Amino acid sequence: MTRPHAVSAREAERALRTALSRGGDVAELFWERHETLQLTLDDGRIEDAIGGVDQGAGVRVTAGGRTIYANGNVTDADDVLALAGRAAASVSGGGDLREAVRLTPDELTRPHSVAIDPRSVPAQRKVALLRLADRVARAVDPRVVQVTASYAESVQDVIVANSEGIYRTDTRVRLNLALSVVAKQGDVLESSFEAVRGTRGFEMLGDDIVTETATTAARRAVLNVGARPAPAGRYMVVLSSAAGGTLIHESVGHGLEADLNLKGLSVYSGRIGEKVASELITVVDDGRDPGRRGTAAMDDEGTPTRRTVLIERGVLKTYLSDRTHAEKLGIARSGNARRESFRYLPICRMTNTMIERGGSDPDEIVRSVKDGIFVKKMGGGQVDVVSGNFAFEISECYRIRDGKIAEPLRGATLVGQGPKLMSEIDMVGWDLGYSTGTCGKDGQSAPVADAQPTLRIPSVVVGGKLE
Amino acid sequence: MTPRLANDEVVDRALAALRDGGVRTAEVFLRDALSGTVETKDGAIESAIARGERGLGVRVLDGARMGFAHSSDLSGVGIEACVDQARRMAKITEPDADLAIASEPLADVDLGIAHPGLEERPLADRGAIALEVERAARESDPRISHFRKTTYSDSSITTVIATTTGVRASYTETSCGATTSPVASQNGERQIGYHGEAARRIADLDPRRIGTRAARRAIEKLGAKPFPTQKLPVILDPWMSMSLLGAISPLFSADNVLKGRSLFAGRIGRRVVNERVTIVDDARRPGGTRSAPFDGEGIATTRRTLVERGTLRGYLTNIKTARKLGGTSNGNARRGSYASPSRIGPSNFYVEAGVDDPKALVDALDRALAITSLLNVHTIDPVSGEFSLGATGTYLEKGTPVQAVQGVTIAGNLTHLLSSITGVGTDLVFGPGGIGSPTLVVAELSVGGT
Repeated sequence: MTRPHAVSAREAERALRTALSRGGDVAELFWERHETLQLTLDDGRIEDAIGGVDQGAGVRVTAGGRTIYANGNVTDADDVLALAGRAAASVSGGGDLREAVRLTPDELTRPHSVAIDPRSVPAQRKVALLRLADRVARAVDPRVVQVTASYAESVQDVIVANSEGIYRTDTRVRLNLALSVVAKQGDVLESSFEAVRGTRGFEMLGDDIVTETATTAARRAVLNVGARPAPAGRYMVVLSSAAGGTLIHESVGHGLEADLNLKGLSVYSGRIGEKVASELITVVDDGRDPGRRGTAAMDDEGTPTRRTVLIERGVLKTYLSDRTHAEKLGIARSGNARRESFRYLPICRMTNTMIERGGSDPDEIVRSVKDGIFVKKMGGGQVDVVSGNFAFEISECYRIRDGKIAEPLRGATLVGQGPKLMSEIDMVGWDLGYSTGTCGKDGQSAPVADAQPTLRIPSVVVGGKLE
Repeated sequence: MTPRLANDEVVDRALAALRDGGVRTAEVFLRDALSGTVETKDGAIESAIARGERGLGVRVLDGARMGFAHSSDLSGVGIEACVDQARRMAKITEPDADLAIASEPLADVDLGIAHPGLEERPLADRGAIALEVERAARESDPRISHFRKTTYSDSSITTVIATTTGVRASYTETSCGATTSPVASQNGERQIGYHGEAARRIADLDPRRIGTRAARRAIEKLGAKPFPTQKLPVILDPWMSMSLLGAISPLFSADNVLKGRSLFAGRIGRRVVNERVTIVDDARRPGGTRSAPFDGEGIATTRRTLVERGTLRGYLTNIKTARKLGGTSNGNARRGSYASPSRIGPSNFYVEAGVDDPKALVDALDRALAITSLLNVHTIDPVSGEFSLGATGTYLEKGTPVQAVQGVTIAGNLTHLLSSITGVGTDLVFGPGGIGSPTLVVAELSVGGT
C-alpha cells in the first residue's frame, strides 16, 4: 500500500550518507504517511467529518552519547535530504566517517490482515454504523440523555532505514469506533465510554459489534447514575477478566520499560532474575497478537515485533526494549521502540500486555469473598514508576456480600504499589479478557491493548467518598 | 526540489482553489512552526530535536454543512487535494443553521507574545539552560541523586487565517520552557519530583527556580507512609490547583452546556462556587502563554469573568454555540494544530488572587493534608464532576509538617470542591498551559487510605 512518492532504498541511502557526513555512529531515517478520517455523531447529528494526511520524516544521528534528531513535513526525497543535512549540521565530531551505506530491503511477515481497506468503504456505511450506535444507546433507557459516537480510521505507512543496512516498511491500519453516553437522574449526571478498536480492516466493524458496544456503554451510564458512591478504605477486590488490563499496564508494565530501568528510575531496576510477583503471575507483551490495537509487524526502529515473557511465574525475565537500551542493558531487542509520529524519537513502551491465564474458576473466586468489591470495568490509570505507586479509575464495580455480587457503586479508584500488589494476588482465573487504550508517556501517545484473567487481591486501598 | 510556497502563497492558492470550485463560504488556516528540544542527563546534552511543522486546514461550509480537511502537503497539487477533500467532507455532515464562518475584520493588537531570535539560538545555548535547571536541582539538596529527564524547549509559530467572507490576519508567537524530574534518594527509598515553567521569552524563564522547585517536590515525598481513611481539610498549592482547574474548564463549555453535559447548564446568575472564588478567562493577558489576538475561527479574543465572587456569569463560546445562545462568539474556539478542528476551550484560565497570606491560611488549620502530587487527573469526568485521584501529601498540624503520606486517594465532586474553598491565597501563579491559581484551601475532602 506504500505510495509511489515514498522514499526509495536508493534515496534513503543518500539521506543516511548525508546524515553521517560529519561523523556519527548510527544514522536512521523514519518516514511516515498517515491518512486519517474521523466522523463524529453528537447530539443526534453527524457533526464532524474530518479527513487529512500528514506526511513527514525524521533523521536521527547518534554520535558518542548524543542523539540528534531533525524532523519535519516532507513532500519529496529532496526534503528528506534537507533534513539529513540539518541533522548532520548538529553533529560535532565523534565517531568515524562512514563508508557508503548499503540498504537491503526485506519484507517482514505482517501479524495482521486487512481484508477490507477502510478507505474503500463508502462514507455512508460508516455513518450508518454511527446512527445505529446512537439509536441503540438511546433505546436502552429513558435516562440516556446524550450520545456521542465517533468513527476513526488511521492508515499509517512507515519506512525505517538505518546505516546498519535495514530498509523495512509496515502499514498499520487501525480502526476505532467509540461511544460516550451521558445518563441523567435528578441532578446527577454520569457518563460512560466504550470502544471497539483494533489493528484490522473494516471487516472488524459490523452491526453486531456496534450494537453490543452501544448497549454496554448505555447500560453502564444508567447503572452508575443510580449507583451509590463507593466507600473509601481497604477492601478485598476481585478484578473481573472483563475489566480489561489497566492494572497490568500501570502497576507493572511501565516499570518494565528498559529506558526507565537503565536510568535507575523503576522499582524493577536491576532485578532481572529476582522474584517480583506472586508465582501465579506470568506477564507477557506481544506485539504480534493478531488484530490487537497495539499490533504491528515491526516497531518504529524496524525491529520485528515479538512475544516477550517479562515475568515468568513471578520471576523478572527481561525488560521492554529499543535498540539502544537493549544494547546497554545486555538484553535481547524486544521490538518495543514506538513513536507517536515522525515528530518524536522512539521510546520503550508496551504493545499488547497481559497477565496469563491461571487455574482458578472465575465464579469460585467471587464466591470466595465474604465482603469486598467486584470490579467489572477499569478506566484510565497512571503510575509513578520511581515509587511504584499507581492509581486507576474504576468505571463499573459492585459490592460483594457473602460471595455474591450485590449493589453497584460509583466513583471508585484503586491505588497501590506495583510489586507489592503483584506479590499479594492470591487467585488467578482461567479466563482472559482484553481491553484497549491509548497510553501516554513523555508527551507521546500510543495505541495499546491489555488483557488479564479474573484476579483476587486480598487487600487494597479503594478511594471513594466517606458518608 | 519542489519550490516551497510562502505561507501567504499557500493561503492564496487554497482560496483560489475554493473559488474555482464554486465554494462561497470557507476558511483557510495555516500554521508554520519551528521548534527545538534539548534533553540533558548528568551534566551533558543527551539529545537535541529540531522540528519543522507546516500544514493547512480547510473548512468548507456548504449550505449549513461543515466539512474539514487538513494536509501537510503544501505543493499546488496537495493544496487542491485538501480543498477537494474538505468539500467531500461537507457532503457527509448534517446541516446546522447556526454554523458560520468569521466575517468581522480583525484589528492588530500587541500582546507581547512574540520575541524574535529565540529560534536562532545555537544548540549549546539551549543546552545551557537545561543544564542550569539540572544543576540548580542538584545543588538545592544533597539527596537529589539522579534525574528522569531535564528538558529545554522553544518554538516560533506563525498562524494565518483567511475566510472567503473577508477575514485575513496572522500572528507570530514565541515560547520557551524548561522541565525537570529529579529523583531524591534516602535509605533505599526513592521519590521523584516534577516541575516545569514556560514563558514567551528567555528573560522570563528562571532555570534556578525551576530546578529548586522540582527538587523540593521530590524531597517532600521522602519518608512517605500510608495514612488512615478520614475527612480532612486539604491544601492545594498553586501548582496542584492548576491540574484540578484544568478539569473544571469543560464545565464552562457552551457546547457541553447545550448538549446536557455540564453541571453548569442553566445556572447563569446563580451561585455555583464559594463566594471567595472569581474565575477569569483572559486571552489578552500580556505575555500569557495562551494569549492570542484571535481564536481558531478568526474571532477577536477577549477577557471575561466567568465566575464573579461565586456567581456564574458566562460560558466559553465559539461562533455556533454563541448563536444558539443568542449572542456573539467570545473567541474561545481553540485549535491545537492545523490538523484539528477548533474546539471550545479556555485561554489563560485562572482563579483570581485572594486576600489571604498563603502561610497564614495553612497555619490556621489544626490538621490538614497538603497535596504534593496527584495521579490520574486525566480520568476526572467533567460530565459527572466526580473525581477520585491517587495522591501523595504532607500531613500538617497548625502549618507544621508532621508526616509525608503516600498511597492515598482524594475524592469528591468538582462542584462540591469549588463550593468548599474556604481560603484563597494572594500567591497567584500561571503554569505552562495558561492555567493560573493561588493557594486554595478546601474545607474538607474524603481521604482514602488504610
